Order: sequence, then C-alpha cells, then structure tokens
Amino acid sequence: MIWQFLANGLIRGSMYALMALGFGLIYNTTRIFHIAHGAVYTVAAYLFYTCAILLKLNVFVSLFLALFCSGILGVIIEFSIYHPLYKRKASIGIYLISSLGLYIFLINTIALFYGNETKTLSPGIEKTYHIGSIILTRIQIFELISFIIIFPIFLFFLKRIKLGKIIRALADNPELSTVVGINVKKIRIIIFFLGSILAGFTSCLGALDVGMDPHMGMNVLLIAAVAVIMGGVGIFESPVVGAFILGLLQNLLIWKVSSRWESMVTFMLLICFLVFRPQGILGKKRRLEET
Amino acid sequence: MNYILHILIMINIYLILSLSLNLIVGYTGLLSIAHAAFYGIGAYITTLLMMNMGLNFFIALFITIPVVMLVSLLVSFPSLRLKGDYFVLATIAFQVIVFSILYNWISLTRGPYGIPGINRPVLLGFKFDSLPSYFFLSLFFVIIVGLLFKLLYKSPFGRVLKAIREDEISAKAMGKNVDSLKIWSCLIGCGIASISGALYAGYVTYIDPTSFTLMESVFILSIVLVGGSGNFRGPIIGTIFMVILPEILRFLGLPDSIAPNVRQMIYGALLIILMKYRPQGLAGEYRFE
Repeated sequence: MIWQFLANGLIRGSMYALMALGFGLIYNTTRIFHIAHGAVYTVAAYLFYTCAILLKLNVFVSLFLALFCSGILGVIIEFSIYHPLYKRKASIGIYLISSLGLYIFLINTIALFYGNETKTLSPGIEKTYHIGSIILTRIQIFELISFIIIFPIFLFFLKRIKLGKIIRALADNPELSTVVGINVKKIRIIIFFLGSILAGFTSCLGALDVGMDPHMGMNVLLIAAVAVIMGGVGIFESPVVGAFILGLLQNLLIWKVSSRWESMVTFMLLICFLVFRPQGILGKKRRLEET
Repeated sequence: MNYILHILIMINIYLILSLSLNLIVGYTGLLSIAHAAFYGIGAYITTLLMMNMGLNFFIALFITIPVVMLVSLLVSFPSLRLKGDYFVLATIAFQVIVFSILYNWISLTRGPYGIPGINRPVLLGFKFDSLPSYFFLSLFFVIIVGLLFKLLYKSPFGRVLKAIREDEISAKAMGKNVDSLKIWSCLIGCGIASISGALYAGYVTYIDPTSFTLMESVFILSIVLVGGSGNFRGPIIGTIFMVILPEILRFLGLPDSIAPNVRQMIYGALLIILMKYRPQGLAGEYRFE
C-alpha cells in the first residue's frame, strides 16, 4: 500500500510541478498573478479534444496543435492585456483583476461552445501495468516520464542557454536588465509562450487521465500558485519542491482520511506558509525593499 | 409584480454585501476575495440557530453578527503581515477553506444536501411570509446599513482608512494605528455581510454550500469593481447593474441554457475593459494605484 501511495503521490506531484513551473516562470519574471493561466490550461485541453475527437486527427498532431495554440493564446494575453498595463505601470491589483476578468471570460466562452459537463478523451478502460505491487495506468507512467524529461531540459535552458540567463536576469531586476539592453517586451512574450505551453501540456495529460470540464482550471492554478509560494518565490526550480509535497500530502490524505478534506488541507498549508515562512522552503529571507 | 419584487429583494441583499465589501476594498484598499465566505457563514449560523435552538430570526441574527466578526479576525490577523497578491491569495485560501467546511462537515451543515425548510422571520407575531413584506424587511435593513456606511464613509474613521489605502507608511508616520484600523474595517465589513446571509437564508428558505463558492466571492467583488469603489454611489450602481443584467439578457430572448455563461462573459469582459480604461469603475473613486 505504501508503495502505491508513494507512486500516486509522485505522479500527482509531477503534474502539479509541470503546471507550477509554467506559472512560476511567469510569476517570477513579470510579478503578474496570472489567474488567466488557469483559463489557458482549460483552453488547451479543449483544443486537444477538438483536434483529437471532433476532427479525428492523430493524437500527436493534435497534441502539437493544442500546445502551439495555447502558447499563442498566452502571447495574445500578454500582448493585448498585460503589456498595455505594463507600459502604464499599473498596480498589482489592476493586473490581478484584469487577469480574473479574462479567466471568467475565457472559461465561459469555452462553456458556451462545449457545455458545462465533464468530457473524457480516452474511451474505455486505460491499459494498466503492474510493477511489483504497484498498479499504474499507461497515461500515469507517461505523466511521470514527461516530468523526468522536461525538468532537466527546463533547468538546462535556464542555467546554460543565453535566453534562460536573460530570463533570470529579468526576474532578478527588471529595471537593470533594460539598462544592459535586454528587450523586455520580446522576453516577456517568450516567457508567456513557454509558460502557456507548459500549462497546455499538463492539461492535455490531465485530460487524457481524468477527463475535463470548463471549471477545472481554477483549482489547478491555485495549487500551482500554492506550490510556487511553498517552494519560494523568485527561484525558478523551487515550485517542484512545493508540488511534490502537495502531491504526496494529498495522496496521504486520500489514503488515511478521505479525499474530501484535500483542498482544505492544501490551503491551510498555504496560510501557514504565508504567515510563518513567506519566503518559502528554498527562499532566503529578503529585506522588504528588495521584494 | 412578484417578479419585480423578487429582483428588488435580491438587489437589497446584494446592496448590503457590496456596501460592506466597499469598506474593505474601496476604503482600506484590501482586495479581498472572501466575502462570500462571510455571507455563507452568516447564512449558516443564523439558520442553525433558528433550526436547532428554535431562536427567533432577529435574535439569531443578533448573535450571528458578533460571531462572524470574531471569525473575520482569522482573516484580518494574517492579513496584517501580507501585501499585494499574497493577501489576495490568503483570502482565496480562506474562502476555499470555509466552503470546504460547509460542504464536508455533514453532521452540522448537512453538506451538499443543504438545509431546507428554513422559517421566514417572525417579528411580534407578524410573519414576513409574503413578498411585499419581505421586501420591506430587506429594505429596512438596507436603509440601516446604508445610513451606517454613509456615516462611516464620511467619518474620520473612513478618512483614515482612505489614508491607509493611499499611503500606508505615511498614515503610520502620522501616528495612526494602521493595524488596528485594518482589523476594524474587516470586522465591520464582514459582520455586516452576515446580515445579507441571514436575509438570503430567510428569503430562499433553503441554503446549500454552492451558493457561497469562490465564484460567488468573485461576483461580489466584481459588483464593487464594476460599479466602482471608494465612495457611496459606486457599489449601489454596481449592484443594480449586475443584478439586473441577467434579467435584461432574459428579455433579449437568450435561452436559459446559455444565459448564465453569457452573463459571466459580459462581466468578465467588463472587468478587463474597465481595468484598462477606467479602473475606478462606472461611478467609483478608488483607482487601485
């Protein structure tokens, strides 16, 4: 039982981690609490559904199309909504409310076209594999493997590639990075593209695993935000720590108590972190002026 | 006629909510997405007192308000240490926790089944059973709450809150106790919100947790944002607009299956457009700067 619990926790954690990496990428560099990221998540799953089920395209072609379109959606959001606000030097509250409005708008557009009910992508029962005493479905193994592949690429991109270094510089000090000649507008567009692709990828896998409904985005987004804060704001790889803690904790709850108290425990943990350790697990204590 | 009265009662209930949220969002500048939690707690505590202890509606309400005020301390104490989106996230967390308790504590709240058969309020033997009488009851509360907020907004208390909103450090430097003022603002705002909860429970005579979700909090917040915050008329205009909007859509002949989605699309789009071109809302004062 303990192994099954660990495996499920790690799989759930890796899904949270992928979403949180995308959210953290955007949050750390632009300081926008991107609630509409949850809407991008939902839109990607529905694009995937449209391509794969309604248009009957190949699974990998539809995955590619869905990811590309969700990336483009992220860029459109940055270009049409956040960038005008950035030029005006709007406050955090304005970003947040615009993002919330956009979330509501996109989610209801989806619900208008596809209906509010839950949809599933894979018909029938998924093929399962037995590894020792653990039982996993094919898609769950795929989720774990995709995290194991993507996370090192993500780290390599940020630490070794020039673009990644520029992104870290922008996160560290936006004003100074304009001084040394970084094109902030272009980098922000790239960040939104990459972050949205990560959200899209997570949502397509999630949709294959458990199906989808228009309102699933908010929950996932909030968990990603909790993971980012638990890990430590300002460090790009830290959401992974928070995500795995949440994944394991939620599965422990399902195993020992009941899944009903899942969201309550998650958000209690968030409040504890916000009050007692706002810099997160990996974060260093900063002075007020630095944040 | 009954239809119009129903809309007027709903406007009254939401007026109390938006005026009280205005004190927190528009005056103190704390962007709270947890108002539906207090609305819900108010509704549940009043209902449970009425159903389990057999108390009169008004006595139950009289007990509920201080209890909800105490609960609001749970939000306002952590809020003192948090700023910007951390504060917003903390209020979202509180909202989700309250919903989760209402939904899962089945032995007390009956969870997803809700509580049916709540009695209409009775005062000195008169039962507020008909729609017109309930309208006047809700109007009575709106007038009291409206007068209270009119006074509060104009009072030195309201002006200090505005000072905190504009520049917290200067307010501190002027010798104002910012922390206790923020707590008082949350105490009053949340306590008043519980009145609407009680009125809602007494009116609909059935409550379940799905009336008090995160999206309901977002709806109440968007009333204040669309109408505008930081003065008295903003929330009133916002409430009237947002409560009547679905009815207008109904008259335009939208089928019921898509009407809720279209309504939410409109207010989502409104929030984006307003934040871009008119952050103070239709008639407000506070520009979120």
